[in-house]
Amino acid sequence: MHAGKVIGTATATIKHPTLTGAKLLLVQLTLADGVTPDGDPLLVVDGVGAGCGETVLISSDTRRARELLAANATPVRWTTIGIKD
Amino acid sequence: MRIAQVIGTVTLCQLHPSFCGGRLKLAVPLSLDNLTGKSEPTAPPIVVWDELGAGIGDRIAMAEGPEASQPFRPELKPVDAYNSAILDQIDIRLET
Amino acid sequence: MFVARVTGSLVATQKVAAMVGWKLLIVEPYRLEPTERTSLMSTGRTFVAVDTLGAGVDDLVLITQGSSARATPETKSMPIDTIVVGIVDKVHVESHCVYSREE
Repeated sequence: MHAGKVIGTATATIKHPTLTGAKLLLVQLTLADGVTPDGDPLLVVDGVGAGCGETVLISSDTRRARELLAANATPVRWTTIGIKD
Repeated sequence: MRIAQVIGTVTLCQLHPSFCGGRLKLAVPLSLDNLTGKSEPTAPPIVVWDELGAGIGDRIAMAEGPEASQPFRPELKPVDAYNSAILDQIDIRLET
Repeated sequence: MFVARVTGSLVATQKVAAMVGWKLLIVEPYRLEPTERTSLMSTGRTFVAVDTLGAGVDDLVLITQGSSARATPETKSMPIDTIVVGIVDKVHVESHCVYSREE
């Protein structure tokens, strides 16, 4: 799990069928200083109604992704599982 | 998944049987600075399995690692990078 | 997946039983030459990959890494994470051909 800031959203018409109806967030993880980007931004499927500017808890649990998208064969890894207060 | 920009194509002359019919694109993963136009993408390109028909310049949602082979289940396919979506719009809002 | 040049092979007589009979290749991942972007160049790194196709030295090959490397009938019982899944014919970047096997 990681905590990262939602820095944007992405939309797609042509996509894998398991992504139909999914909201895609762009989440940037940072180094311990809280500022320096740690790697490239991640595309995360939103499961908690998060928005831009919020810090979210994301998980790579694939069972969570399968349950959220109601699909057994999805290429999704990251999903939001919480919003930081 | 990461965002990657399609820059080219790869064709094979001999392939593992499970790769028959697959289309392969060359794509560069994009950093935040690449996405906001502060720098040009320089990361090593990745060869991505593309069933959606992405074109040069398209930005795609690239699944990597074990998830990239999930769409083929229950068939086994040794794919470690997969085009999950062709992105229409990327909206970035950084606080100033 | 990534493209890599075969630079040699590796022989290990003593190895886990599931790997007996399979050839191991030394490969160097290639990247796009960053300034002109019209040719490929070595990254200077090396990997050992299981060969399922009979690739030879100097071939440019397509490599799959990670647990997906075991997603074939041949490799599913092997303790491996890197395999050759194709021999590259051509690589195009935009409209330029940056690699052709015939040349």
